[in-house]
Amino acid sequence: MAKGFSIRARCRNFGWPRDRGTSEIGRPVIGAERRFVDRAVGKLLFCAALAAIVAVFFIIVFLLRDGYQIVLETGLWDFLAGAEWNPTGRNPAYGVFPLITGTLQVMALAMVIAVPLSIGSAVFIAEIASPGMKSIIKPAIELLAGIPSVVYGFFGLILLTDWIRVAFDQPSGSSWLAGSILLAIMAIPTITSVAEDAISSVPREFKEGSLALGATHWQTIRRVIVPGALSGISAAIILGMGRAIGETMAVLMVTGNAAVIPDPIYDVFSPVRTLTGTLGIEMGEVAFGSTHYHALFGVAVVLLFITLAINSAARVITTRIQGTQGTARPIPSGRVTAAIRRSTPYRALTAAASRITHAASAPFGRLLPPRTSQRCAFLLISLSVAIVIAALGVILFEIVVNGAGAISWEFLTGSPRDLGRAGGIFPAIVGTFYLVGGALAVALPLGIATAVYLVEYTAETPLTRSIRAAVDLLNGTPSIVFGLFGFAFLVLFMGFGVSLIAGQITLGLMILPTIIRTTEEALRSIPGSLREGSYALGATKWQTISRVVLPPALPGILTGAILSIGRAAGETAPIMFTAAIFSSRFLPSSLTEPVMALPYHLFVLTTTVPGAATQSYGTAFVLLLLVLTIYLAAILVRRRYRRETVM
Amino acid sequence: MTGSTILETTNLNLWYGQKQALIDISLHVPKNRVTALIGPSGCGKSTLLRCFNRMNDLIDSSRITGEILFNGSDIHDPRADVYAIREKIGMVFQKPNPFPKSIYENVAYGSRIHGVGDKKELDRIVEESLKGAALWDEVKDRLHEPAHSLSGGQQQRLCIARSLAVGPEVILMDEPCSALDPIATAKIEDLIIRLARDYTVVIVTHNMQQAARASDYTGFMYLGRLVEFDKTTKIFEDPGEELTENYITGRFG
Repeated sequence: MAKGFSIRARCRNFGWPRDRGTSEIGRPVIGAERRFVDRAVGKLLFCAALAAIVAVFFIIVFLLRDGYQIVLETGLWDFLAGAEWNPTGRNPAYGVFPLITGTLQVMALAMVIAVPLSIGSAVFIAEIASPGMKSIIKPAIELLAGIPSVVYGFFGLILLTDWIRVAFDQPSGSSWLAGSILLAIMAIPTITSVAEDAISSVPREFKEGSLALGATHWQTIRRVIVPGALSGISAAIILGMGRAIGETMAVLMVTGNAAVIPDPIYDVFSPVRTLTGTLGIEMGEVAFGSTHYHALFGVAVVLLFITLAINSAARVITTRIQGTQGTARPIPSGRVTAAIRRSTPYRALTAAASRITHAASAPFGRLLPPRTSQRCAFLLISLSVAIVIAALGVILFEIVVNGAGAISWEFLTGSPRDLGRAGGIFPAIVGTFYLVGGALAVALPLGIATAVYLVEYTAETPLTRSIRAAVDLLNGTPSIVFGLFGFAFLVLFMGFGVSLIAGQITLGLMILPTIIRTTEEALRSIPGSLREGSYALGATKWQTISRVVLPPALPGILTGAILSIGRAAGETAPIMFTAAIFSSRFLPSSLTEPVMALPYHLFVLTTTVPGAATQSYGTAFVLLLLVLTIYLAAILVRRRYRRETVM
Repeated sequence: MTGSTILETTNLNLWYGQKQALIDISLHVPKNRVTALIGPSGCGKSTLLRCFNRMNDLIDSSRITGEILFNGSDIHDPRADVYAIREKIGMVFQKPNPFPKSIYENVAYGSRIHGVGDKKELDRIVEESLKGAALWDEVKDRLHEPAHSLSGGQQQRLCIARSLAVGPEVILMDEPCSALDPIATAKIEDLIIRLARDYTVVIVTHNMQQAARASDYTGFMYLGRLVEFDKTTKIFEDPGEELTENYITGRFG
């Protein structure tokens, strides 16, 4: 008993009323103030979470309610299957069938182009590229996922449609094909980087196990690695589909927007019109409460259902494939991933290994010797990478080279003159910052508080599951739908008018689900053992969260927030009817005035102002630079902290 | 020479959802001694350990009946402060779980959350705790390096130091050596024996030699029941129950 920790003396003693016979009777119950803080924070988080969740459900209910009106007015069948969409004609027709087929056609062809190229690129980055090459290509492709869609649309309108018109000898290049090519280029970075993550996270032992059986690298990729990453790859493809369906601006600018079903159905040079494009074109000029107004809500609801279908498909696929392949991806509950990993991980390997040995032992079983087929496969993969890099390179090159020339001091600091043909874009730059700042002020505190509450304070119940489903639904919902909500609810119903504040709230609601989800994921990735370690030392819940859980989760939360900033800065659809005006000489002096914004300025310059090509390029260049800088920041933050805080 | 009892359970039952994990456990843990809980996997020994500092509160589906007394006070009393209980009854986990902070911050964490802000005081607590966990000499020159740069055995001793720093009376250890190599294990066992001078240690272990080497008292658990509890020498040399003997001699488990 020689040393006897003196620490003991200074720590407060254990004991409470009705204490039976220890030396510590009569000491006050400890931590009254700590407990108060703990409870107060809990209540505060609950209120924030409630607000966010109410907002999420409110948006969904609001859209459904107004969308339901069109079903009452035209009947469900005539609305969904009606072959004509002509809301402004003498005999208005509200059949969304051509719009649905248009959406699906554009999306399908885009996927046909994008999926092979993306998976090829993903395999290349994960398996074939040298570490040095990988460290360049991977962040570059992630970066490209951030290019604002209006920039793609600008490129499509200026170059792609022209190229199609000339190359295929068509009267007009604005077509299904143009939309699909553009969407493919837009979806490739997303699909590639998610698929690459999945491929890279296939456990090393699988690969080594296969190679140790004498399989070639290609055989290993084809039969072990890709099957092992299948759930992630499927998720990537579905994510890409979601992006393609939800895209508004780029599609609206290049597809020609005729609400017709191509005849013949495979005529890729026919113009088409998508659901999102319809909202983008018609929303601004619709009369409040009219049949047309309800029909647009109907379109939004159709988009909502498509998003729902895509989300559910993603969930079914990932859980089912997890069941059979056992790739290590955390299941939603997040607490017991180990059980899944343990139960099935070797099945994929053993099954594939037996197939390889079988194939190798059958002397004439294969068309090509393994080495030759490996060479062919690698050639194709490299080719797909080359195509991707070339396509993205052309876009960047075009905009950077032409845009940099338009940049001048006056352009950056002046106000636009002559409908933007001369002067500068200063009000648009500042307006973009106003919009993004306001959106963050709305979404960041609410989103983070909601995620903390959902992860740390609630058990997994049907209620939390439905909250998560609703958040996911809004997370995948096309941004134009938020634009519609903002326009109908904030601008018209609440009477905000087209104003800075309406745009800020609309953008804030748009990024809210993303912030909730990324924060949730960051929190879930903190092992439960750390929380236990903290509780075991007598820490309260809030002490544990604020000192043990949040610090290591911060990079993840920050990355999500920065990506949201980038997205908010680049989006056109949500602000074009809620906040943005074209060519204003002044900055807004209050929240109720409209504001200029870079993406909207670019959109209007490109589509409606002839003879403003230089200014368009300059605006595109500034927007690109702004958004890519934000994305680059996100990538750097993530990289830096990933290295520092390895669990 | 049975000293006073520090922890006591009476007819303790615990359910996880529908499944009963602990059945009618009555046990006295003697003060300033090492008590080992042994038994095959899934017998409930870790669950019992987690009852003593109410870590099972964190598992939503758990339900408990019976009484657990710490120094004669019911730890489930509605007026009991669960945070104070955990301050007084520390825990070391199976896998070392240092926080992603520096070595210093790991040890200082507990004191900080219990309101120690003075830098000098913290320095002293950190030093004494690390000495108490026999880690000071190995880390004194790199206190501000990340805890994850330590070896597994060092990390586990850091976790022990971390729990010493808040001034506990009891330290619960849940298979503290199962993730460690034999040399690191020997160090922790030495430490456990030394800790018993100032603290009460309750250790769950799979390793019967460890129980025999390091503990004064041993409880053998099987299928959620406490089959036998006695001095370690008695359990290992002359067990009172056939089940215990079968387990000790390796006939099952």
